[in-house]
Amino acid sequence: MYRFVLRRLLSGVLLLFVITTVAYLLLYAGGGDIARRIVGPTASDAQVALKASQLGLDRPLVVQYWDWLTSALTGDLGRSWFNGQLVSAGVSSRLSVTLSLVLGATIIAAVVSVVVAVWAAVRRGWVDRAVQLVGVLGFAIPGFLIALGLVSLFALNLKWFKATGYVPITTSFGGWAGTVTLPIVALSIGCIAAVVQQIRGSLIDALRQDYVRTLRARGLSFNRVVYKHVLRNAGGPALAVLAVQFIGLLGGAVIVEQIFALPGLGQITVAATGQGDIPVVMGVVVATAAIVVIVNLIIDLAQGWLNPKVRLS
Amino acid sequence: MAPKSFAAADSDFANVSPFYQAVYDTLLRMEPDGTLVPMLASEWKYNAAKTVLTLKLRNDVKFTDGTAFNADAAKQNLERFKAGTSADAQFLAALQSARAVDATTLELTLSAPDPAFLGYLSKDASFMQSPASFANADIATNPVGSGPYVLDTAATVTGTSYSYKRNPDYWDKDLVHYDNLILNVYPEQTSLLSAVKSGTLNGSLIDIAMIQEAEAAGYKNNPFEGNWVGLILFDRAGTTNPGLKDVRVRQALNYAFDTKALLDSVNQGRGTTTTQVFPPSSDAYDESLDSRYAYDPAKAKALLTEAGYPSLTLKMPSTPLVNSAVFALITQQLKDVGVTVETVDAGNNFIADLLAAKYAASYMILEQQSDWQLINMKIAPNAAWNPYKYADPKVEELVKKINLGTEEEQKSSAKELNKYIVEQAWFAPWYRPQNSFVTDAKTKVELQTGNVYPFIWSFTPAA
Repeated sequence: MYRFVLRRLLSGVLLLFVITTVAYLLLYAGGGDIARRIVGPTASDAQVALKASQLGLDRPLVVQYWDWLTSALTGDLGRSWFNGQLVSAGVSSRLSVTLSLVLGATIIAAVVSVVVAVWAAVRRGWVDRAVQLVGVLGFAIPGFLIALGLVSLFALNLKWFKATGYVPITTSFGGWAGTVTLPIVALSIGCIAAVVQQIRGSLIDALRQDYVRTLRARGLSFNRVVYKHVLRNAGGPALAVLAVQFIGLLGGAVIVEQIFALPGLGQITVAATGQGDIPVVMGVVVATAAIVVIVNLIIDLAQGWLNPKVRLS
Repeated sequence: MAPKSFAAADSDFANVSPFYQAVYDTLLRMEPDGTLVPMLASEWKYNAAKTVLTLKLRNDVKFTDGTAFNADAAKQNLERFKAGTSADAQFLAALQSARAVDATTLELTLSAPDPAFLGYLSKDASFMQSPASFANADIATNPVGSGPYVLDTAATVTGTSYSYKRNPDYWDKDLVHYDNLILNVYPEQTSLLSAVKSGTLNGSLIDIAMIQEAEAAGYKNNPFEGNWVGLILFDRAGTTNPGLKDVRVRQALNYAFDTKALLDSVNQGRGTTTTQVFPPSSDAYDESLDSRYAYDPAKAKALLTEAGYPSLTLKMPSTPLVNSAVFALITQQLKDVGVTVETVDAGNNFIADLLAAKYAASYMILEQQSDWQLINMKIAPNAAWNPYKYADPKVEELVKKINLGTEEEQKSSAKELNKYIVEQAWFAPWYRPQNSFVTDAKTKVELQTGNVYPFIWSFTPAA
């Protein structure tokens, strides 16, 4: 068990290193004259040179990368080239916004999916067909359209929620809920659609297994069979899909954050990538890559708990 | 648009002016109508040659870290701005030296007279930051000034939302109208429109396409014109496109555009057609010139034929940053008079390419500043927007008079210069597009001459 975790952590670190190196090289290659872009098209060449030397852009790529890497290892991700903010501060304050969206959407998706999928798999018939149809629709409608629809209906017309902006949970829980509810709903719909299909399929398969008939024959209630045994057997694949969705939601959050003007990771990712603000993009890459590694590790452990067959030594 | 660094030496103006004005005072202050009034400098005087400017400074001002504001602090700030990486660093190009004569007397020596210099001292060039904060590691995100507000760094999300609190010790209570300010940056128009429609904002610059929806949500439209749109005919000497050397060809390009139709289709008819680059507030402006090149494709064709270019080819850049209909309309209108346009997609390098003299002519939208600033940006031989460095003795003579002449001479020369530039067709302006700053019922604002964003103290709570 510990060896397994250790091995996964080590490969995670290696993965982080590879991802950040590739990202740095790609960003650098596509960066163009960043000093020029920072000081503006009307700046003099002397100003451009001054900016370049302030940021250390006049050094060879290898030196710049080595400098970034060694600082990053000590936890210093540098400062934004454009607004001078500490990358670690900028990314962590925004990570909390994005994570509250993505975690919220994942939890809602997990709960709703299980309920709906069990309902569809057990009842079958028209319920099942309706769930499938709605599922396909939810999957097919782009997230940003759902988000725009939600804003227009619940924020602008009914005024139940805030249309834009963010209130930290530490300031006011009500304010926080008012700003994140719509984005979470917008994010979770596509996710629910995907996970429901997966759980429903696995449940139907599992319900056909011999052990279900045996358990029923031994007098266990149907609910107990479904929730204690069948769901646990069907849970493995569902968990895998949920993990993939969680990581996908990090990407989906980019658009939702733009629409709701939320100060999340997506917003700085878009801004920083467009500007060529390499330290900030690298901070985002490190944060998201770390999340992916950690989520995968957690899912692996959870799989082992659900299914002894995949438990690794 | 979010500000870059908060360091005064790297600061910018125009769209981002309010972020800085909240925390930094300037030596002079500009009223909404463009008049310069005292701020940190209570009086100022030029010598006869207009090369030495002496400013008397207030002695009762402290930065928010407790450091006293004095002539030495002002000198250091000006020197840092001149040597810094602000896009406006050239504002202080004429500043040769600064000297703190005593604590409240600052003497600035200019290498040559600069009629726009006092104006610059009311902008980013003279943002005054506490010298004690110059070495701070967080200088870019934690400004220390003497302004009416203090940045609340804990409540600020850099790049998205900037919170300010009233400076309790501010020396001029008349300039502080709010206890708290929040300046939000919206990454794109959809979220800005949602924020406007839900009544989240007291005021905002908005796209003209959003005006009706904003008005429906109860906002007041405060329209203004601060730019002009049209073609810049850069290559007046015909270096890369010999056709443009002939003034008749350049005039034909003015006659070729149905500017009213362009204004209607590109800007919903919101704006005023024009032929001149100087704004109506300028001494150089002459209303009668606006009918100089009324739409006349037949005349355009005749002039082109007369000049020997019945079928001219013009290579011009396009950019995804501008509504693509604009470039299609240019091509079509010029085709109607026999000019073939080769459009090259310059992408994000659009402006950089123009300033590097890669195109003989181009569509552009440019700001209409005060006369001297405008001349030095678009007309003078070393102006950034004169990338071919085109020089005309008559223009140079007039520019010299505007710089050194008496007030009367300055005015008449400016008028003469404008008329000459229009006659020589250095540009082919179409219209001044309307911009809009909307305010809600709780907010009053006075728009600012020469700046797209109203100044921070021009916002007041409606009674």
